[in-house]
Amino acid sequence: MNRKIERVIKRVFLYFAVIIILISVLTPFIWMLSGSFKTRLEIQASDSKIPGKGPSWIPRKFTLDNYRTVNKEVKILDYFKNSIIISLGTMFFSVIIALLAAYSVSRFSFLGRTTYSVAVLCTQMFPGILFLIPYFVMFIWIRRTIGLPMRNTYWGMIFTYTSFALPFSIWMLRGYFNTIPREIDEQAQIDGCTKVGALFRVIIPLAKPGIAAVGIYGFIMAWNEVLFASVLTGNETTTVAIGILRYITAQEARWGGMMAACLLVSLPVLIFFTFLQRQIVSGLVAGATKG
Amino acid sequence: MENIRKKLSLFTSIKKNRIAYYLLVPALICMILVHILPMSWGFIISFIDLDIYTITNWSNAPFIGISNYLEGLNVYSPTGGRFLRSLWNITYYGIVVISFGYLIGLGVALILNQNFVGRTIVRGLILLPYIIPDSVAYSVWRFMFQARIGIVNKYLLSWGFISEPKVWLVGDKSIYAVMVASIWKGWPFTCLILLAGLQTIPLELYDAAKIDGASTWQQFRFITLPFLMPITTVLLLLSVLWNFNAFNQFYVMLGTDPGIAADVPSTLILREAFNSFHYGIGAAMSVVLMGIMLIFTIFYIKKIRTGETVQ
Repeated sequence: MNRKIERVIKRVFLYFAVIIILISVLTPFIWMLSGSFKTRLEIQASDSKIPGKGPSWIPRKFTLDNYRTVNKEVKILDYFKNSIIISLGTMFFSVIIALLAAYSVSRFSFLGRTTYSVAVLCTQMFPGILFLIPYFVMFIWIRRTIGLPMRNTYWGMIFTYTSFALPFSIWMLRGYFNTIPREIDEQAQIDGCTKVGALFRVIIPLAKPGIAAVGIYGFIMAWNEVLFASVLTGNETTTVAIGILRYITAQEARWGGMMAACLLVSLPVLIFFTFLQRQIVSGLVAGATKG
Repeated sequence: MENIRKKLSLFTSIKKNRIAYYLLVPALICMILVHILPMSWGFIISFIDLDIYTITNWSNAPFIGISNYLEGLNVYSPTGGRFLRSLWNITYYGIVVISFGYLIGLGVALILNQNFVGRTIVRGLILLPYIIPDSVAYSVWRFMFQARIGIVNKYLLSWGFISEPKVWLVGDKSIYAVMVASIWKGWPFTCLILLAGLQTIPLELYDAAKIDGASTWQQFRFITLPFLMPITTVLLLLSVLWNFNAFNQFYVMLGTDPGIAADVPSTLILREAFNSFHYGIGAAMSVVLMGIMLIFTIFYIKKIRTGETVQ
């Protein structure tokens, strides 16, 4: 009898703990959602000091204006277009380059393989700020000597982000390739495939989930990046990550619009994640902890 | 003769694996252009007086030796003082965020490792903070921390912790607001990794321990914890490295100048280079930062490589 009561109490505690966890995780999301449906007047007039006039979870007056005018003062849709171009570009190039490099590291035992793998790991560790100044100087230098504008261009940003996504992508794909038995591509070679042919005919079809995870990683990274975007993009290439900050200016605070934009900006990432949760999660775990 | 043979075999090995090198070429070009070249270039810039006038033609900037470093590390100069303070700030921030993030992540991982209804959904939901874009998450927290219209002060007031609405995002307290937001954003990743670690522990060990009469605490202390140790080391090293990276949370919540109490190397270097146009000093600070991080990186690589040989 006692045992049973103890078990029930444990269960109750467990569910209680889970509810607390969920509340603390979801609070900011609910606040974002509720803020995006509030009128500007309601947000500005609320005052945490006065009881009854404090900010509330449920909008007092429900409005869709924030969504309707989301593109009015801040050109968030243009930023969306920029971000989609840059992110898709990053996804495309980082997958292709990482595929080749990861196949090479996974299947050939060539001179300098270990050095290369360690170098890949190393570059993943250094903070972006280290590269920012030389990068900026380099962009200016390229512009001056070759005449190719790099700052505030799509290809400049795609190039930047592809290179940032590469170390982790190579690392992740290499891990994935290593799980595919070598016998399979050896068999393909016996059947008359070249080594490179084996990559395209055998390995890639087998590694589709891993490739998807790497592609999504590149996309999300480019979509979320702030530091380089804040310096290297201009009016024509502003990404959403920088764009949503523009709702708050020295003159005006459009919190409602900002929350609506936040929701829209999160959507692509959320959609990707819902569909490919398992691949992304296993990729993340392996990428961070396995050598 | 021996030497020649060695060289020959080296040559044939390279020749045999020609394709391996061809496949690496695109990635190598990218990495050289983006990582190695800029890193060396940054090193050079840290020794020259690069400013708004010389930026267009960097090779004309005068070589000034280690003056940039002296300026950047001088406690008595305003820049140097702020840089050292920013190093302290990021350390303080890191200690708080990493330890709380780890404890919360571990606690939640232990809870989510139990069986209960809706476990899969809950496991997906807790990853939400981790996957949404940084600028979204921190913008929402910025809104929540607003003094008058924010929800944080509302609850602190009604629960009696404070009597006046606190201004969170300006002044001494601002770093704490950023810490709270970062812990919220960061612990799910820790939890995810630890959950994966928990699932590798053989259940028979717990059964055996139960038969031997071990308490829940003893099971945790002598089975769970030792099993999580290797993954914890890697995770903490990784957190330390990423922590020095911290920029987005400060930039989004506090702006380009977070104030002395919440200034971190990234924001300071960014301002020094792109607002004050002292590219040289900024580069010197970056090099100092990299030196610090190199120590942790070496540890991390060592850990992860030894892990590989064990497997």
